[in-house]
Amino acid sequence: MAVIEQTPPAVAQPSPVRPKKGLRKYWHLYAAISPFYLIFLGFGLFPVGFSLYLSFHRWDGLGSMEWAGLSQYQYLLSDSDFWNSIGNTIIIWALATFPMIFLAMVTAVMLNSAVRFKGLYRVAYFLPNVTSVVAIAIVFGSIFSTNAGMVNAVLNAVGIDQVAWLNTPWGIKVTIAALMTWQWTGYNAIIFLAGLQTIPSDLYEAARMDGAGPIQTFFRITLPLLRPTLLFVLVVSTVTGLQSFSEPQVLLQTSSNDSTFAGGPGHSGQTMVLYFFQQTFDNNDFGYGAAVAWGIFLVVVLFSIINWRLVQRRGD
Amino acid sequence: MASIKGSRRRGIALHLPLIIGTLISAFPFYWAVVMSTHSSTEIFSYPPKLLPGTHFLENVRNLFDAIDFFGSMWNSLLVATSVTFLVLLFDSLAAFVFAKFEFPGKGLLFGLLMVIFMVPAQLSVIPQFVLMAKIGWIGSMTALIVPAAANAFGIFWMRQYMKTAIHDELLDASKLDGANFLRQYWHVALPVVRPGLAFLGIFTFMGQWNDFAWPLISLTNPNNVTLQVALSQLNGTHGTTDYGIVMTGALLALIPLLIVFAVGAKQIIGDLAKGAVRG
Amino acid sequence: MRLSRRGLLRAGLAGTAATTLGGLASGCAVPTGSTGRNMVLWYWSGGLSDTVVKNAKARYDSSVDLEAIQIGGQYRSKLITTITGRAHIPDIAGLKGEDMAAYLPNADQFIDLRTLGAEKYKSQYLSWKWDQGIADDGTMVGFPIDCGPVAHYYQYEVFRKAGLPYEPDDVTNELNTWEKFFDAGVQLGKRVPEAKLLTDITSVFGNVVEQGAKRYVDKDRHFIGDQEHVRRAWALAVEAKQRKIVSDLVSGTPDQLSAIQDGKLPSQLNASWASFDIKNGVPKTKGKWRVAQMPVRPSNSGGSFLSITKACREPEQAFEIIAWMLNATNQAQGYIDAGLFPSTPASYGLKQMQEPDPFFGGQVTTDIFGPAAQKIVVAYNSPYDIALSQPIKDEIKNVGVLGKDPKKAWSDAMSKCRRIAKHLGVSY
Repeated sequence: MAVIEQTPPAVAQPSPVRPKKGLRKYWHLYAAISPFYLIFLGFGLFPVGFSLYLSFHRWDGLGSMEWAGLSQYQYLLSDSDFWNSIGNTIIIWALATFPMIFLAMVTAVMLNSAVRFKGLYRVAYFLPNVTSVVAIAIVFGSIFSTNAGMVNAVLNAVGIDQVAWLNTPWGIKVTIAALMTWQWTGYNAIIFLAGLQTIPSDLYEAARMDGAGPIQTFFRITLPLLRPTLLFVLVVSTVTGLQSFSEPQVLLQTSSNDSTFAGGPGHSGQTMVLYFFQQTFDNNDFGYGAAVAWGIFLVVVLFSIINWRLVQRRGD
Repeated sequence: MASIKGSRRRGIALHLPLIIGTLISAFPFYWAVVMSTHSSTEIFSYPPKLLPGTHFLENVRNLFDAIDFFGSMWNSLLVATSVTFLVLLFDSLAAFVFAKFEFPGKGLLFGLLMVIFMVPAQLSVIPQFVLMAKIGWIGSMTALIVPAAANAFGIFWMRQYMKTAIHDELLDASKLDGANFLRQYWHVALPVVRPGLAFLGIFTFMGQWNDFAWPLISLTNPNNVTLQVALSQLNGTHGTTDYGIVMTGALLALIPLLIVFAVGAKQIIGDLAKGAVRG
Repeated sequence: MRLSRRGLLRAGLAGTAATTLGGLASGCAVPTGSTGRNMVLWYWSGGLSDTVVKNAKARYDSSVDLEAIQIGGQYRSKLITTITGRAHIPDIAGLKGEDMAAYLPNADQFIDLRTLGAEKYKSQYLSWKWDQGIADDGTMVGFPIDCGPVAHYYQYEVFRKAGLPYEPDDVTNELNTWEKFFDAGVQLGKRVPEAKLLTDITSVFGNVVEQGAKRYVDKDRHFIGDQEHVRRAWALAVEAKQRKIVSDLVSGTPDQLSAIQDGKLPSQLNASWASFDIKNGVPKTKGKWRVAQMPVRPSNSGGSFLSITKACREPEQAFEIIAWMLNATNQAQGYIDAGLFPSTPASYGLKQMQEPDPFFGGQVTTDIFGPAAQKIVVAYNSPYDIALSQPIKDEIKNVGVLGKDPKKAWSDAMSKCRRIAKHLGVSY
């Protein structure tokens, strides 16, 4: 939390607060932020508390609960499948997020300066985010298939051996990352675009007067002023990317005999949330599932703090 | 002469990558359209079909027979619209406070908000169902709307957006004019952050429209479900799923989203007339 | 177009108020379980015949309003959540065969069908299937819907070209052990370039285990996945890999479908319902297929049950409906509509099930699946089977797909099983 308090001090004059009168003076501010916290108290606190309680028990979802003490967490620490899923998630996240942010920013800057066909581009870049995930999975499954796939056809054409994309540990990760990049680049480009719109045009005017080229302008004006947006994109990508599951699930779901949560050969595409589903719903191990969920939560918090620090510190 | 040539070359350099991006983005969507025009047998047969087929109307007819498409669409509209409105109001208010004011406990409260944001959503589905069953909201749209009325994602986004979008001088000036907090919010902040609100609105609407896990669990009355839940009832086991109908349903369900997006996205780049000067 | 803040505000407020109030009002009237004439049945798409459901509604219309709901997504988790939440529990609930191990320990959530007179129907159903619906304490939870006898699907012409037996009877009789089946695979590979007998080794491993009467955890909560019956299945799967009769393709992918269509994967061991997948996946192979018995003995894959929950207010009525929906005539209809292979042997001789199937060259496939269904052995399914079979299935897949050393894979699987067994309180 200390990290978050480092955010640049906001505007309004923080006149020295006198404790007693203080809180009453700020009542309207507290009232304005209260809905979120009230809703959390009403609907979020009980589920969170319940799952914490659950993680200290054994429960099959229907029968009676059995006290398990810390054993679920002890097992979690020694569970190589869970650690494997953390590794998979982070690798897939990194493979997807960095290309995605780069492409999204480039797309946003281009969209911001393109004058014609804006509407068309906008809708087109929005399409990946709304297309049914079933359709996407079928399409990607066929594009990345070993013998009949388009990707391998292209690789063959330039003289590279074909890759068994959905059958090798790295192939699986790259395919999932490609799907995620495809799905979220346009979305993030629109976020960046909204951020670009807040940058006053007179700043660009001034830069041009000073004789700055487009690249200089980007690094001196656009990027620094886009930092809050970049921070937002990075943190949201971290929180959602580390909790990804539908992409690997639909992509690697093959024969009906297989668990849909296994994540392909060698669990190479099994993300943390897929592992949670496997424990909870395949094995009916609700207690352990809750412990896994708290493990996921810790990883997400840790990663978000790291990202926050990286973006906040640089150049500040 | 030179400048025209230059601008044309610039235009090509700009539009070529944008067009390639458009093609890549639109391709799976095109594929979904192709699938919706074939029968299930044709979709999974080998070799894959690349061009639209002739089964679209038949798929539409079967879809309307199988589920109450318009009834569930109405529910989805109701939920998505209500949630979007509430989220825009509550999130922008909270974000305005977090972005532009100082008060005791601010860091702590914002930290708490971010921590809540990071709690895995899957964690709460089962206990939340138990809770909703206790207060008797199970099966009603209220169970979807109220818990979603404010969210950490939107507050975080609007706070980041407002930081640069609302200039401090504006706020100071309005304060000198004697504007109170609500007036500042309504007359100074909101007009400036319209693009940010449009973004939040679009994606809140979209998120609600496509939300599936929670509605599937909480809407127990089959005659009163959202569109995504209705569509999921088309999924069967062991190859009995008719993907032609599923894809047709998924595509028809996109139409309201595309309308919302087309209208909302104009707000995001609405002020481009000003920007064009710099272009 | 610009949206005015005031307009948005007004529209939004009106909408929200309407929904919230409407929701609250109806929220108060939400019933628990069924009321009066209303009876709710939960199943999944394709889980019952649409015709039979429709006929049942009409038939019992004078006494109940039967409301049949198809539940999408994760069926079992939705049912479990609903029972735990104690609201809107269906009166009649479909239970998938593979989930039975999870329901049976919680038999107290369901009505014991024996108390409703189920015993008198017992002789009409496959006995192993009947027993699958009964919990350890004797409570009868599930009434049999369908079963999934596994057989040997093969392409007639390809087998003939490879010099293998090609008439269904000959295939059944001559490829009746795993050794002979594997030999046939080797011969196929020699005579037909690039052809493989099976898609992956997982199907060998899975089917060999399922042929037997033991699984991974026994009734005394003891791990038996390290015993002979599993080791043998493992060894056979590894042998199939070493003799190069399995492909490195993934089932259900375009690559696999194209290989099947080209006759390079002319054979599969699969359940009765898989004929739908084959017909949908490679329609161009129509007429080329035949079905024979699989080596050694048949196994079962899939098949489900209907149950009556404790929330049901009129169990007698519900049971009457179930017993009618699942009688031999209606089960035959289920086979026609949804490929649900009947658990009532009397259905097999009915005219609907004796139709020659042009996709299988005019063969009457019931002649294979019917006898197969009657030869399946009962096995005890533990609630811990899924968790404790997963590591072994994962590792055999690693051997097949990633080329992992079988010895290392087996010892990895066993050490993981030991860890999971300890965690779940299963003795090792």
